[in-house]
Amino acid sequence: MLRKQLLNIALASAVVVAGSSAALAQDKVALIMSDIGSANPFWAAVSKGATDKGAELGVDVAAVGPPGGETDVSGQIALVEDQVAKGVVGIAISPADTAALIPALEQARARGVAVLFVDKRADMPGTYIGTNNIPAATLGAQHICDNVPAGSDVAILQGIITGTTGQHRAQGAREGLEACGLNIVAEQPADWDTAKALSVTENILTANPNLAAIFASNDNMALGAVEAVRNARKLDDIFIVGFDGNPNAAEAILAGDMDASVAQRPYNMGQMGIENVLKLAAGDALPDDIDTGAVLVTSENAAEFK
Amino acid sequence: MTASDRPVEDGLDRAEDAPESRTARRMRMVDKYGVFAVVVLMMIVLTILAPDIFPTVQNLTNILRQIAMNALLALGLYIVIMTAGIDLSVGSIMALATMLLAMADTSGLIWPLALLVGPLIGIGCGLVNGFGVTVLRLPHPFIMTLGTLFTLRGVTNLVSNGRPVSGVSREVRFLGSGEIPVPFLGEFGSIPVSAVVLLVCYGGVGYFISKVSLGRHIVAVGGNPQAARVSGINVDRVLMITYALSGFFAGLAGLMLAGRTGAGFPNAGIGAELDAIAAVIIGGASFFGGRGTVYGVFAGVLVMGLLRNGLNLLDVSAFWQQTLIGMIVVGAVYVDVLRRKAGSNA
Amino acid sequence: MSDDSMGDARPTPLLEMRGITKRFGAVTALDHVDLLLYPGEVLGIVGDNGAGKSTLMKVLSGLHSASDGELHFDGRRVELHSPKDAQDIGIEMVYQDLSLAGNLPIHENIYLGREPGKKRIGFTIVDHKLSRKMAMEHLDRLHITVKSVDQKVEELSGGQQQAVAIARSTAFDARVVIMDEPTASLAIKEVGKVLDLIKRLRENGTSVILISHRMDDVFFVCDRIMALFHGRNFEESAIRETSRNEVIGWIMGTKGHTEALAHDRL
Repeated sequence: MLRKQLLNIALASAVVVAGSSAALAQDKVALIMSDIGSANPFWAAVSKGATDKGAELGVDVAAVGPPGGETDVSGQIALVEDQVAKGVVGIAISPADTAALIPALEQARARGVAVLFVDKRADMPGTYIGTNNIPAATLGAQHICDNVPAGSDVAILQGIITGTTGQHRAQGAREGLEACGLNIVAEQPADWDTAKALSVTENILTANPNLAAIFASNDNMALGAVEAVRNARKLDDIFIVGFDGNPNAAEAILAGDMDASVAQRPYNMGQMGIENVLKLAAGDALPDDIDTGAVLVTSENAAEFK
Repeated sequence: MTASDRPVEDGLDRAEDAPESRTARRMRMVDKYGVFAVVVLMMIVLTILAPDIFPTVQNLTNILRQIAMNALLALGLYIVIMTAGIDLSVGSIMALATMLLAMADTSGLIWPLALLVGPLIGIGCGLVNGFGVTVLRLPHPFIMTLGTLFTLRGVTNLVSNGRPVSGVSREVRFLGSGEIPVPFLGEFGSIPVSAVVLLVCYGGVGYFISKVSLGRHIVAVGGNPQAARVSGINVDRVLMITYALSGFFAGLAGLMLAGRTGAGFPNAGIGAELDAIAAVIIGGASFFGGRGTVYGVFAGVLVMGLLRNGLNLLDVSAFWQQTLIGMIVVGAVYVDVLRRKAGSNA
Repeated sequence: MSDDSMGDARPTPLLEMRGITKRFGAVTALDHVDLLLYPGEVLGIVGDNGAGKSTLMKVLSGLHSASDGELHFDGRRVELHSPKDAQDIGIEMVYQDLSLAGNLPIHENIYLGREPGKKRIGFTIVDHKLSRKMAMEHLDRLHITVKSVDQKVEELSGGQQQAVAIARSTAFDARVVIMDEPTASLAIKEVGKVLDLIKRLRENGTSVILISHRMDDVFFVCDRIMALFHGRNFEESAIRETSRNEVIGWIMGTKGHTEALAHDRL
């Protein structure tokens, strides 16, 4: 107990005298991504957030990913073992497989290394740092509330609803739309797919001529909805919000076809991953889920997401 | 008097008595010992660059744990490449074997039988490859095994619905994750059981290739299939056994992987065939067949394992791993080309 | 046995091919060909390209089966369905492309497919030491000189490779060795060595069938000569009862005086 407190104090002082603490400057932590960092814009941002936070706190951050990309499970296991051998105090990992990384991570914990999950989690206990899809989807729904009259007809395009991501985004959207008194006339799955979203939206438009807004659980489906609405010559009448903040969605927003998207905050994810794994290493108790938040992409800031 | 010490009788032998050219001799040395020198050199460099981490018991045994899968796949591919063939399907065979044995084990099959699932699936898949190469007479093993690379990956996803299966039993995991404690090696002092498996497999294949008639026939088929045929060797049978062996080692690698991860997962071994081929080539085996040793292959596996480990320890970007491995492969084959050139000039 | 020991009082033939016919679809490659081979005899077979020499030898070595005709070996009727069948009764063939595995050492090439060693569950645990010793003794018997039986065959000269191929064909008490153009691809200085080797086989009691285009070779080693023309027996003779010019005429399908023609050819 005493030791835990001492560690807490040490960590706190490290945060205060950022970068100047000689004792903690040698602490090493690892961010182990599920893809080669800079090969993917999302992971490039997570990686940047992590190393920036490391520089701020004066810890040595190794931001690494398996050489074979996101399917290289064995490569990721080797990374865990090698980082443990290197003597890291903590590992923030986005596991390439929900099951296969478990023994390696359990062994790391057995050797006193703090482990938490970033963006994806393995089927084992541990803190998860990532986008909480429910409030993020609600954020998008509220933007619809702000832009269409109360009582209007709205529709939700769901992703694959056997997965939690699809369920959570649909749930958050529903809660947000209902809260401001909008009338949800349709809630249908289009399996994350642009072409499916196009035909699903066509059917919804036929059945609901007064539709005022569409919430799509990802940008691909939102772009499918845009095509259906364009074909029906209603682009000016229907407010369309997507999710992910993809570059092509950002362009559609700038072109005025789409109205908004909800983006994750990967840079934040990297920062919070490092910050929290250090807390965990110092003995702090962490909650099971830490939300890294979401940001609304509109015509005002879409240029940053292109 | 023996043939070797009898005086030269006529001009026929004189060409052979001319002293070997200096380049030819040098190439022969590089060819024989080059890859071992590379291993030693890498270990020295890594010890200098990371003196506190690299030469530790924990790290060195980690390397043994990490190379097990590639080592077994490379061993199977070595046998195939000896016949001037290729097996691109080993990664997919491994995935299917891992998945099916995880499913069999978690659905209650008793562990002694569950242990057999992986290797048997491997042999079965290997026989399918052998069937395509010998009976269907597809123009090159590349075609048949490229087909099974896709097909078996698809089957793996079909049987698993693309989802991992976890909860493999302790007994089945023993070969892949067991540890033999070695007290005098310190805190993390244990030898992975997988290293013992490697030792047995490499020793077994080494003996088989050099001492057993069938192994010599594999080498002969790689040297000149026509010569093997007129010597009364059933070349199709030899090839069938070759691909079955490659499948067997892929299945065994699947068993090791299930041990290491405690699970079967559909993305297992994607791209693993290329790592294994690279290890075999770095180890000095020739793509033209009939040339190469198990020691060389093991050294090739070590080169790749040390490179990955070292770059991980030094936090070098994964891009460099890919770049360097590619360069080493080209370098190793260039040595082979030089050796051939020197050989034909001699 | 010396060159001129072949008198008129002939022993019983070792090998007798009677009325061998081989058809490939509509093409008749061999049309009722007869062949006699006596123990310890070197028989030369000549003929132009397409005369049927190689086809006849492939029938004899078991690679092709005859469409019609009989084969008698050592007084018994035999049927050959594979090279293995032929090897089992002592008929061996040295192929024109030699068919050696260049990546294997000399001694392994000699015993390839028939390795000495202990039998274990269908495999042979090869006794390399014994294989080396047997190879050395065998090469000694044939007066073939090599630096070491561990030399890889691909490192040998063409003549040495030919010698290894011949050693291989005689390693298991061959009674008949068939050689298809053994000197065709050799340097001139290596030809004599191979011809000496053929004579040595004869001294050891082995019968040899030699297919060759080179009249020098045929007249140097053969006891008897047989000419095929368009898939049929054309003419045959003891070697000392004929001449080069006459034989060249046979190859071209003419009998009798061919002096002028032969000079053009030579």
